[in-house]
Amino acid sequence: MNYPALFVQLLPEGLLVITALLLLGVAVATEAKTKRPLAIDVTVAISALGIAVACAALYYCPFRPESGTSLLVMDPLARVFKAVVLMLGLLAVLMPPARHEIAQPGEFHALLLFALTGLLLAVGTDHLLFLFVALELASLSLYLLAGFSRTAKAAEASLKYFLFGGVSAAFFLFGLSLLYGFCHTLTLPAMAAALDAGPLPPFAVAGLLMVVVGLGFKLAAAPFHYWAPDVYQGAPATSVGLIAAASKAAGVVVVVRLLLVGFEAAAGSAVWGGMKPGWALWLGVLSAVSMVFGNVLALAQTSVRRLLAYSAVANTGYVLVALAANGATSAAAALFYVVVYGLATFGALAITAAVERDRGDDSMHSFAGLVHRSPLQAVALLVFLTSLAGVPPLAGFVGKFAMFGAAMAESTSQGIPGLTWLVGLAAIMSAISLYYYLMVLKQAFVREAADSAPVAMPASHRLAVLVPAVLLVALGLFPAVLLSPLTQALLATLRGL
Amino acid sequence: MLLLSLLLIPLLGAAVLGGWSGLGKSSARHFALIWALVPLVLVVIIGSHRAFPATGVIDEWKSEWLPDAGIALRFAVDGTSWLFLLLTSLVTLFALAASLRLEQAGRAYCALILVLEGMLFGVFTARHFIPWFLCWEMTLIPSYLLIRLWGGAGAPRAALRFFIMTLGGSVFMLLGFLALQLAVGTMDFSKLADLAANHELAPRLAGTFASSGHSGQFLLGLVAVCVFLGLAVKLPVFPFHAWLPAAYAEAPTPVTMLLTGLLSKMGVYGLLRILLPIFPEVLPALAPSLMVLAVASVLLGAVAALAQLDLKRILADSSVNHLGYCAMAVVAAAAVHTDRSAHAAAISGTILQAFNHGIIASTIFFCIGLMEQRSGGARTLADFGGLRSRAPVFCGLMGMAIFASLGLPGLSGFVGEFLMFTGVFSLVPWAAAVSVIGLLLTAVFFLRMVRLVFHGPLDPACGQWPDLTNGERWILAPAIALIIIPGLWPQVLLHCLNADTARLLDLLRILP
Amino acid sequence: MTPAWTLISAFAGALLVLLLPARFAGWARLIALAASIIGAVAAAAACLTKLQHPDAAVWSFDREWIHDLGIRFHLAANGLSLTLLLLTGLVAIAGVLFSWNITLRPRAFFAFFMTIIGGVYGVFLSRDAFLLFLFYETVILPKYMLIAVWGSTNREYGAMKLTLYSIGSSALILIGLVVAYAAAGGTSFDLDYLASFKYAPSLQSWAFPILFLGFAVLAGIWPFHTWAPTGHVAAPTAASMLLAGVVMKLGAYGALCVAMPIFPQGFVEWRLVIAGLAVVGIIYGALTALTQKDLKFVIGYSSVSHMGFILLGMATATHWGLRGAMLQMISHGIVAGLLFGIAGRVVYERTHTRDLTELQAFDLWRTLPGAAIAFTLATAASMGLPGFSGFVAEIFVGIGVWQSDPWLILPVAVGIIVTGAFSLRAMHRAFFPVRKPTAEAATMLPPLTWPEISAIALLITFSAAIGLYPMPWVTLIDDGLRSPLFHSILSLP
Repeated sequence: MNYPALFVQLLPEGLLVITALLLLGVAVATEAKTKRPLAIDVTVAISALGIAVACAALYYCPFRPESGTSLLVMDPLARVFKAVVLMLGLLAVLMPPARHEIAQPGEFHALLLFALTGLLLAVGTDHLLFLFVALELASLSLYLLAGFSRTAKAAEASLKYFLFGGVSAAFFLFGLSLLYGFCHTLTLPAMAAALDAGPLPPFAVAGLLMVVVGLGFKLAAAPFHYWAPDVYQGAPATSVGLIAAASKAAGVVVVVRLLLVGFEAAAGSAVWGGMKPGWALWLGVLSAVSMVFGNVLALAQTSVRRLLAYSAVANTGYVLVALAANGATSAAAALFYVVVYGLATFGALAITAAVERDRGDDSMHSFAGLVHRSPLQAVALLVFLTSLAGVPPLAGFVGKFAMFGAAMAESTSQGIPGLTWLVGLAAIMSAISLYYYLMVLKQAFVREAADSAPVAMPASHRLAVLVPAVLLVALGLFPAVLLSPLTQALLATLRGL
Repeated sequence: MLLLSLLLIPLLGAAVLGGWSGLGKSSARHFALIWALVPLVLVVIIGSHRAFPATGVIDEWKSEWLPDAGIALRFAVDGTSWLFLLLTSLVTLFALAASLRLEQAGRAYCALILVLEGMLFGVFTARHFIPWFLCWEMTLIPSYLLIRLWGGAGAPRAALRFFIMTLGGSVFMLLGFLALQLAVGTMDFSKLADLAANHELAPRLAGTFASSGHSGQFLLGLVAVCVFLGLAVKLPVFPFHAWLPAAYAEAPTPVTMLLTGLLSKMGVYGLLRILLPIFPEVLPALAPSLMVLAVASVLLGAVAALAQLDLKRILADSSVNHLGYCAMAVVAAAAVHTDRSAHAAAISGTILQAFNHGIIASTIFFCIGLMEQRSGGARTLADFGGLRSRAPVFCGLMGMAIFASLGLPGLSGFVGEFLMFTGVFSLVPWAAAVSVIGLLLTAVFFLRMVRLVFHGPLDPACGQWPDLTNGERWILAPAIALIIIPGLWPQVLLHCLNADTARLLDLLRILP
Repeated sequence: MTPAWTLISAFAGALLVLLLPARFAGWARLIALAASIIGAVAAAAACLTKLQHPDAAVWSFDREWIHDLGIRFHLAANGLSLTLLLLTGLVAIAGVLFSWNITLRPRAFFAFFMTIIGGVYGVFLSRDAFLLFLFYETVILPKYMLIAVWGSTNREYGAMKLTLYSIGSSALILIGLVVAYAAAGGTSFDLDYLASFKYAPSLQSWAFPILFLGFAVLAGIWPFHTWAPTGHVAAPTAASMLLAGVVMKLGAYGALCVAMPIFPQGFVEWRLVIAGLAVVGIIYGALTALTQKDLKFVIGYSSVSHMGFILLGMATATHWGLRGAMLQMISHGIVAGLLFGIAGRVVYERTHTRDLTELQAFDLWRTLPGAAIAFTLATAASMGLPGFSGFVAEIFVGIGVWQSDPWLILPVAVGIIVTGAFSLRAMHRAFFPVRKPTAEAATMLPPLTWPEISAIALLITFSAAIGLYPMPWVTLIDDGLRSPLFHSILSLP
């Protein structure tokens, strides 16, 4: 065990922890001295710096796969997604809560950094128990972040999130223990070999099912999504941004590693006319339920934040379609899509937060006449929502098309595409989703504004809106820039196993 | 070149009228009248050329339209066409002259009449279905507008009915020809006639539509019926004549002159140029039903005219009657194959009748127009009486035209009727016999008209009527001359047709 | 000038207009006009080049794009797309001219307008299924915006209905394309490759109707046509011209050049159903137009009827029928643009009504003779009177129907007659008054402005040109139909 090399590989996470501790220290010191909490701008600056340095460390540190262990895997997939999670975290940091919303900015950002650390660790591990610990680190931080603003709604959100999270964590752990009982090991490569050996006994299948349930909660797949609407509506915008983007992305990577890479043998099939029980079938069912629930319930929403929550459920459904196909290209497309989705939802949330602060509530009517008040914000909103709807030429369209195309191609045998039922449902549901996005855009572009004062948005907030918008347009025109590395990384990981 | 100029000059005149926005109404009417002299001159020049002996064609113009589909724009003048061209240019001049007094007629009116003239030239010289149909349909909008915009109170409905019924018939004609295009690959009238003469049409149709299981004869008959429908609305033949009385009555009188003088002749020309040469195989089978329709037109037209009180409607129904004779003659010529002279008589009689009726009917309408102007719009039988005492010259000339329409020997109307009846008697005796009743009824209603309008006590409303002015005499004189001369000396017209008639009969394999 | 200039000019125009500062908002229409003219000239130049050098290599632009999915950025032009490009260019110019006096947010208006034009150019030029679908979808949001912001009657409802139908049918297209891609091995989205792949007949039975229906809904197939009249009436004039004239042709083009070549056996199976629906559409559209009180609704329903002819021509699966369908696409594009332009802009701007009875009182023949003449000519073209483009298309479709399904010729005849009836009724009621001898002369309305005259003249000239001299157009269409895409369709019995 080459400890120095291992610590070098752990630098990003280490730097994040150091920054968090530093923040806490500075916050305590400043409060003791000035009797006032640390300024938000300072905490944002420190956190951002910390994340930036962690990113740099990730990039510049020598990449030695052989120095990894199963606890800390250093394959291209982990590297790429650590970078992604860090970037999404940076965006969240750049959109801090308003001064009056939270009492202790230092603690808030420290928790945010801890959550990021947990996500980073979860993305880069092959050891299931370590995965659980990392996910719990992230989750606990997120529960606290959700309730940080001490309003009634935030408290409700946080409590619901915690309760659901706790139960699903229990499911996950119990499922892991059952699987351990069958495989006698907790590292994914060894488990893959063990599962390959023969048909699974019922208790192992039950274990797998419980693991899938636990993961489903993390991704906000229906019917495990009940925490999402309240959390999206009640928690401070920054926390929601983190949950919607970074946490989701990390969650999908975990699912890919766990199921596609590790439990490949127990996949089963979701192909129409040839269905076999296994996680692919369960994911297919979850996907169908999520897409239908998410889109149908979103149609009735008037609160934009809740609408985005249900849209999150629906988008999980789309991603699961690609994962249910159980192939490398479709999984790569799913990873591409979840990044794009994260950027789009984050951007939409950012604008919603600004409008909410301006008007007082996040209903659709608050957006009336946005194009006249703040044209650039309206255009950014257009970019985000149309990317979510899957309208070209934005990255969301390419992502959806890639996912559905790859899923169909991967599941074709003897010239008959087997997942047509699922992809068909996805296409139709995606079409329906345009309706509710258009409702918001209609308010912004068609309706007249009540007054013509621009919507206030601090500089860092603007940056947090501009970067995703530009990226979505760029990735829409040149998707290969992200898709190729992801495909290569995934193939390398699959081969390595 | 001459032919192309003939076709384009009226359209050019219309364009000039359309673009010349400063032209006043009266000046426009005069301009159009002078412009319309040019086609007449051209027609006369064309008439002076020798015809090619083999085909009878005097002049021809052709342009490729869609070569790989075998569609070309082909126009040609032979003796028969020339006669119709002459008729067109004369009647148009006549109508424009009659319009000089029409106050509301301005640039648009004259432009439309010129366009109509150009399109009629096209119809009477087209030798391929596409240019035929192009010109045929393009007469619809100008006539519709002429009736609608300058007509009387009931004009909108009459114009609409005219348009829709004519369009309906044309659609069937189009579809019939499209089927032929598919089966034999051409819509050229001459080529189709040759194929028909060699009995090739029916088998080719049967081959193309083999999936329908019908025989070639049946299919060819179906196509013939479609084509007939298109022509029948124009002629008109009972029961497709419903549009005619209202349209003739509501249209302003000069337009009625055009309608009766020229547009109905399109139908006659079509019967001779299309129906007879291309469908001789199946016409004998269809002839009984078609003959019934023709005879019905003759009788019902005459009966209806008897019941009318409006002068224009009397004439309108009488037109149905007179054109019914043409239809009867053509159907008879197609129905049976007996001796050649009978056929020759029937066909030449039809063409003559077409020409003469054009001149006569437009003359009568012109006179009715004069009466309308003097009486301030009234034109029923009851409105007039004893005109002979006030306007003897007028009554004399109008009377001559009426008697010509009646078929009095010595006047042009007699020649055509005589030839037709001679032919039909030999071919389909019963039809001729029944149609004689039509002749008698025609005599009745015309003589009644003469009695009520010209003779009898002078109607107080006509008390101040002036006789014909000089201008009107100048206009009427050539018309009356054209009514008298062919009556006394038919050869002047017949010599144009004889060669063509002979050629047609050869084509139909009707041997002496 | 390669055909790529059509795309470049449209999108560049849209971008330039968006970036204009508020002070120069009046320049938006000039930039849009310039971009449209450049596009039309590029298309015309390409057509002429093709006519002069029929055997020259087809222009194409092919670049690697998303390698992992087999998607390439592949643009190319054959005879069919060239004619449609020219149509788009003409309608674009006319649309900008008819919108010359827009005062409400002109920059946004012309930006959305040019985006739609660019998207349409893109669809006609794409040879990769993903790229085609990308451009196809790009027009959906601008369509919504144009109708919802600048529209008239019932605009939000009309806009949403149109958009939802569009996006719903796009979902079907997506499913169909992805099925085709997957079943062909998941290696390439190239249209020619997908068309040449032999799919299993059982797959084609269900995949073809999905893909075809997706495109056909946008083409106004009965009974999924109800979005069209509502949407077109709600839209502002230029948008109606675009929608009826060009965007509906996207659906027809997709059905003809994507759905039919990819799944030919499926097409054969469903051919009679398509023909039947098309005929029902022709007659239903015509009959409904006969009863309308609003002039724009008459034109909207007449579009449904005319699109029926296009679908019928395609369903005959004969050379004549396909030619007729293509010609009708071009003809109807021009004529619908003309009719909407006159009704929506020339008349409505001045009279503020489109109700047929109310228009009678205006005595338009006397007070606005230019519009009356233009509408009369447009009606003649719409009816299929010879001398205009509609007639040539009608003959070809007629021959095609005779060739493949003679028993359908009677409903077609009925459809043509009813079309004549409603067209005449609309023209008759709207422009020509019922003459009352004692009525006072109505006040003269403002005469036609030069942009209106130019637009009308442009469209009428082209319709008459095609009607009187169709040879070059038919040559281009035949060249397109000779492509391997159509071999399997045209050789089917």
